Amino acid sequence: MANISTSAPEKVGLLRVLGPAHVWALGVGIVLVGEYMGWNFAVGKGGAYAALIACWFAGLLYTCVAMIDSEVTSTVAAAGGQYTQAKHIVGPLMAFNVGLYLVFAYTMLEAANAITIGFLMDAVATMTGHEGLDQRPFIVLAIMFLAWLNYRGVLATLTFSLVITAFAFSAVIVLFLATAVLTGDSPLRHADLMTDLPYGWVGVLAAMHFGLWYYLGIEGTTQAAEEVRSPARSLPFGTLAGIMTLLIAATLTWYVSAGLMPWEYLGQAGVPLFDAARLSGSTLLMVLLGIGTLFATLASANGCINDASRAWFAMGRDHYLPSWFGAVHPTYRTPFRAIVFLVPIALIFALGAPLDQVITFSILSGLLEYTFMPINMIMFRRKWPLDSIKRGYVHPFHPIPALVLLTLCGTTYFAVFLGYGTQLVAMVAFYIVVSLWFHFWRYRFVNRGAQFTMPWPRPKGY
Amino acid sequence: MARYKPPVQSKFSQIIDVIVLLVLAIGSLYVPLFLKLAGRTVASVPQDAPTWESLGQNPVMVEKWLQLGFPDPASASDLITARFDYSFSWSSLVVMVVVIVGYFAMMIRLSETEYREVIAEKFGQADGRL
Amino acid sequence: MDIWNVLEYVAWGASVLFGFFILYDWFVTNSRYSEEVLTSSREGELEAMTEDQRN
Repeated sequence: MANISTSAPEKVGLLRVLGPAHVWALGVGIVLVGEYMGWNFAVGKGGAYAALIACWFAGLLYTCVAMIDSEVTSTVAAAGGQYTQAKHIVGPLMAFNVGLYLVFAYTMLEAANAITIGFLMDAVATMTGHEGLDQRPFIVLAIMFLAWLNYRGVLATLTFSLVITAFAFSAVIVLFLATAVLTGDSPLRHADLMTDLPYGWVGVLAAMHFGLWYYLGIEGTTQAAEEVRSPARSLPFGTLAGIMTLLIAATLTWYVSAGLMPWEYLGQAGVPLFDAARLSGSTLLMVLLGIGTLFATLASANGCINDASRAWFAMGRDHYLPSWFGAVHPTYRTPFRAIVFLVPIALIFALGAPLDQVITFSILSGLLEYTFMPINMIMFRRKWPLDSIKRGYVHPFHPIPALVLLTLCGTTYFAVFLGYGTQLVAMVAFYIVVSLWFHFWRYRFVNRGAQFTMPWPRPKGY
Repeated sequence: MARYKPPVQSKFSQIIDVIVLLVLAIGSLYVPLFLKLAGRTVASVPQDAPTWESLGQNPVMVEKWLQLGFPDPASASDLITARFDYSFSWSSLVVMVVVIVGYFAMMIRLSETEYREVIAEKFGQADGRL
Repeated sequence: MDIWNVLEYVAWGASVLFGFFILYDWFVTNSRYSEEVLTSSREGELEAMTEDQRN
C-alpha cells in the first residue's frame, strides 16, 4: 500500500479475467431466483396451465432475446451491454434510455431479492418457533455484503455466483428427480390438482406478465463484455447455454410445483419451491431447497449489482451521466463509484416498497428494453449488412426472431396493463421526461464523434 | 464539420444532475404507490361457514391444504376465493398504446438526429455532400 | 433473547462493517489518486489491444 504513489498506473480500466462459465453464472445466476419465487404469480394470474403456456411463450421471447443479443454483443464488446449497442446502432438518446432501463431493471430486481432473503429468514425463524423476526438487518446485510464483494473485484464476485448458482440449479434438478422419477410412489398429483383455466384465455394473457419472471435478466450477460477474456466466443456461448439451462429449470419447476400444490395457494406463495420441498415430506429436500432459495437469491442480487453498476459506469464514462461515475478502482479494477452510489437506492426500495410493486418496476424496465432489441437488430442488419463486419455469432432466420419478439412484447404490455396500468403509464411518463431532459440539457456535455468507439466502417445510408 | 467541444461541467452542476435524476426516478416509482393507484385488484368472496366442498376442493387438494398448514376451510377460504378483476376500459387501453408508441417514436426521431451528427463527426461528411 | 435475536444484532453489525470498509476505501482511493487517473478508462480501448474485429 505504501509505494502506490510511485507505481500508480497512468491509466486504469476494467480487467479481462472472466471465462464462459462466469458468463453463464452471471446470466443464469440473475434469473434462477425467478424459479424459486415470483414465477408462480403467473399461476395466480391465470391458473396452472396458463402459467405453463406463459412459461413457454416467454421462453420463446427470451430465446429471441438471447439470439439477437448474442449477435450484436459478439461485436460490441464493451461494458454497458445494450447501452453501448444502442449508442452505436440507434443513437444517443435511445442509448441513454436503454442505460436507465438496465439500471432500474437490475436495481429493482436486487431490491426484490433482498426482500425475499428477509422473507426467507422469517420463514425459517417461524419454523424454529421464533415469531416476529425483524427482517431488516438481513435485507441490509445481503445488500451490503454483495456490494462489498462487487467492490473488491469481478473475478471473486462471479466465481462466487458460479458456485452458488450451480448449487441452486442442482437443487431444482434433485427436487425433480426425487419427486418425479426416483420414487416408486410419486407425491405428484397432477390429475387431481389441475383445474380448467379459472379466468379463461384472458388469464393466459395476464399470466405473461409474470411469465417473464422465469427468465428476466438473462440478457445481463452482455454487461460482462469488457471483463471477459474473449467476448466474441464466450458471450454467445454463455448466453445461449444460459437460456437452455433456464428453459429446463423453468419447465421442471412448473411440473413439480403444479403437482404438489393447489393453484390458489401456488399463485400467492412467497417461496414456492421451498413449499414444494416441504410437501414432498423429505427433510433433506427441504434443507436443500431452503439453501437453494437463499443461494439463488444471493446470486441474483450479486449479478444485479454487477450489471447495474456496469451500465451506470458506462454512462458516466461517456458523460451521459456526470463523468465522476466513470471511475475505475486502481487496485480492484471495478467501477467502484457506481457500485457505491447504487447501494442506497437499492436499500430505499428493499426497505420501503412491497414486493410485487418492486417486481413490476423491474419487469416494466425489462420490457421496455426488450422492445428496443428488435428495433436495434433490424437497424444493425440494415446499417451493417452481414458482409461488412465480422460477427462472432450470426443468428438465423432474420428478421423473424425480431418480429416475434416485438409481437410478444406487445402481448406482455397488455398483460401488464391488466393489473398495473397506472405504473406502466407513470413509468413511461418518467422516461419521456428524462428523455427531454437528456436531449435538451444533458447531451451538451457529451463528445459527439468520440463516443463511437467500435472499429466499424461507416454505416450504410449515412 | 467543426468538431463539437463539450463544455466542462462543474462539480456542483454534476451533483444537481444526479439529484434531478433521482427525484424523477423515485418520484415516478413512488407516486402511484402514494396515490393508491397501484396494485393488485384482488377481491375475495367471503363465504359464511365455508366447507371444502363449497370451496370446490377435492380430497387431494384438501390433503395438500392441510399439509401446507391450513387446518380448516375457513383459514384457506380467502386464498381460494381471491380473484383478479380483469375488466378494463378501452379508452385507457388506447391511452396506453398512444403513450408507448409515442414514446418510442419520439425517442427514435430524436436519436436519429443526434446519431447523424455523431456519424458525421466520426467519419466525416458523406461523399459529395457537405 | 434467543438465537434469532442474536442473529439480528450480528446482521446489523456485519452490515455496518461492510459499509465501513467500502466507505473507508472509497475515501482513501478518492484522495490518493487524481481524478484523471481514476476516470482514465475509455470504452473500446481494451478492444484495440485484445482483438481486431475487422475482416
